[in-house]
Amino acid sequence: MTSQIIENVLQALMAGLLAGAIYGLMCVGLGLIFGVMRVINFAQGDFMMLGMYVAYYLFLSAGIQTAFGSVIGPYVAILLSAPLLFLFGYWIHKLLIARVTGRRTAQLEGDGHFAQLILTLGVALVLQNGGLIVFGSVLASIRTPLSASAWEIGPLWNDDLVSVFINKARGIAALISIAAMIGLTALITRTRMGKALRAAADNPVAATYMGIDIDKSHRLAFGIGAAVTAVAGGLLATNYPFHPYIGIDYVIVMYAGVVLGGMGSITGAFWGGMTIGLVQQLSTLVLPTQLQNAAIFVVFLLIIFLRPQGFFGHVVERT
Amino acid sequence: MNEISRPTLTRRAMLAATAATLTIPKAYAQSPAEVKVGLLVPLSGLYARPGAVMKMGGEMAVDHINKAGGVKALGGAKLKLVLLDCGDTVEKAKNAAQRMVAQEPDLVVASAAYLSSFTLAVTEVTERAQLPVLTLSYSDLITDRGFKYVFQTSATAASQARQSLPLLMKLAQSASGKLPKTVAIITDNTGSSIASAKAMREGLLKENGLDLVMDETFTPPLSDATPLIQKVRAVKPDLLFFLPTVISDGKLVLEKMNEFGLSQGRVPTISFGIAIAEPDILQTINPSLLQGVITCVGSWATKGHEELIAELKTRYNEPWMTQNAISTYGDMWLIKDALEKAGKADKAAVAEALRTMDGGPSKYYPGGILKFDDKGRRVDAEMTVVQWQNGIPVTIFPQKLAMAEPLWPKR
Repeated sequence: MTSQIIENVLQALMAGLLAGAIYGLMCVGLGLIFGVMRVINFAQGDFMMLGMYVAYYLFLSAGIQTAFGSVIGPYVAILLSAPLLFLFGYWIHKLLIARVTGRRTAQLEGDGHFAQLILTLGVALVLQNGGLIVFGSVLASIRTPLSASAWEIGPLWNDDLVSVFINKARGIAALISIAAMIGLTALITRTRMGKALRAAADNPVAATYMGIDIDKSHRLAFGIGAAVTAVAGGLLATNYPFHPYIGIDYVIVMYAGVVLGGMGSITGAFWGGMTIGLVQQLSTLVLPTQLQNAAIFVVFLLIIFLRPQGFFGHVVERT
Repeated sequence: MNEISRPTLTRRAMLAATAATLTIPKAYAQSPAEVKVGLLVPLSGLYARPGAVMKMGGEMAVDHINKAGGVKALGGAKLKLVLLDCGDTVEKAKNAAQRMVAQEPDLVVASAAYLSSFTLAVTEVTERAQLPVLTLSYSDLITDRGFKYVFQTSATAASQARQSLPLLMKLAQSASGKLPKTVAIITDNTGSSIASAKAMREGLLKENGLDLVMDETFTPPLSDATPLIQKVRAVKPDLLFFLPTVISDGKLVLEKMNEFGLSQGRVPTISFGIAIAEPDILQTINPSLLQGVITCVGSWATKGHEELIAELKTRYNEPWMTQNAISTYGDMWLIKDALEKAGKADKAAVAEALRTMDGGPSKYYPGGILKFDDKGRRVDAEMTVVQWQNGIPVTIFPQKLAMAEPLWPKR
């Protein structure tokens, strides 16, 4: 009995870590856009959906499956989808978002947030319905044998009950997510471009005086944010079927993760996503499974009540 | 000599004659009026695919009916399918139904709305509008509310569970030599799944000598099946009853079963509902994981539907005909029969025709006859049991309609 409980806890913990790592990467993408630029992007889930389809078609139609096989191929396709989604995000910002953000927002009511809400909601609807027309309603999945197999750790005890299974597709996705998050943190903290992005986020007026092109920084941040979320989507697509409306299911998770982690913090966004994954899976140990998503928001509210600025957020006063 | 009085041709008579002659060619050229039939199904969101397949079945039937001369009692009037999207939530489905009754006052009958939860909401609206609705949805609740304008063509969820359990037990015993003793239930919380699971918990399992050792309900779509399958691994039941309505949940559960070493007959999986036998699942999962998986569904293309299956294949590139296509196809023919009986394109008359219909053996629904009881349930409606065999789900029950012999998955 005890060994059974231990196995259940370990398995739920492992499932939570694996799901949390992918959620974390999704949140990092939104964290750049929402946390750094303060743009409420309702289309972020749909950028993820686009990333899934781009990786899917690269894998199947661009010869990647033939060249690299079904084990390595999906990850090659996912990495190649990142620059495409970066360009997509960059141009969406340049053509649309820039009109309601940056220097122009001073002239708009509510710092442009109302316009941003409506604009990104419109982009989301266009992407969802455009996706339905272009990709169809048939469920898609980047099929890899890894999604139905696992590494078994154990038996950990003498009786052969306590084993922990690590789904191979989710395990690899978690490792890539962590690597991507570390790379992105290095980009933001150690490069000149990262410095410019942080300066543009902290104080746009002062950054302008220092010669930083705010609009360009925002375009870059938006493009990187879209690409990172798209990579997370591609990783999810190796073990989860998707359709043009999948973004709606995840955009709420992304916002919750960013707020939990603390706005403006990339590391915080990742840990926010990780917390959601852990709560979602661990809650099934004590609550009925159908309440696992409710559990996320109960814990979310609890954390926000105790620490309103999130895990890594700072309380600051802007002048 | 008497003068013979001749009719005089007055200007007024000329005008009247001209007017009359103008109407004659029009009367001959005018085709009988169209009869609008609604098809309220999900065409966007999570359930867009089943809705698209229902549309295929509806379009095929309307084409066949119109080519065969339309509704003869209405002078050969053609059926016109009015497609309406009920979206992917109960709220959207209810709103769509409100739009349907407000914007399409000419509709005389409709078929709706795939998911039982949607049908329950949609029929709240159509009942008030006195618009007759045919449905393939299973939930017993749909026809338990005393409504007069809803007609359930499938066997209800409880009835399906009642019909299928003894059959499955017999199948298990004949294949493995012993009766299963324990069962685990994993069900989503949509209307039909809840209704099936409720009937099982409230007596059917006991009646069939099964002990319920695990019972989990989830909200679709699942993000990960690990917690559910970990519980199955812990209790190791003789059977797993799995009731999903979303294809992705089918994939996640079957793959997780394989990952945890519970597939290939170690824990035979019996599904209820269509999700696990939809062609789309093959896009997401290795077909070998589906081999032997059994599902109990309200209807399926069976023996005698070969021509329809072939047409669906060539016209829409659908590899096989699921309940969504064949039931909607059958609905259109049933509507045509009701219109013939009613003799007018009027929703009240069509509803009355459906209530009093006695159309003999059913051709497009399994078993029973084309007659509805007081609740609006099709009399003696049976169900079909379908099994994945070599990459295709084939009908294995009822025996008279079966297209293959059943296999019991063995480890």
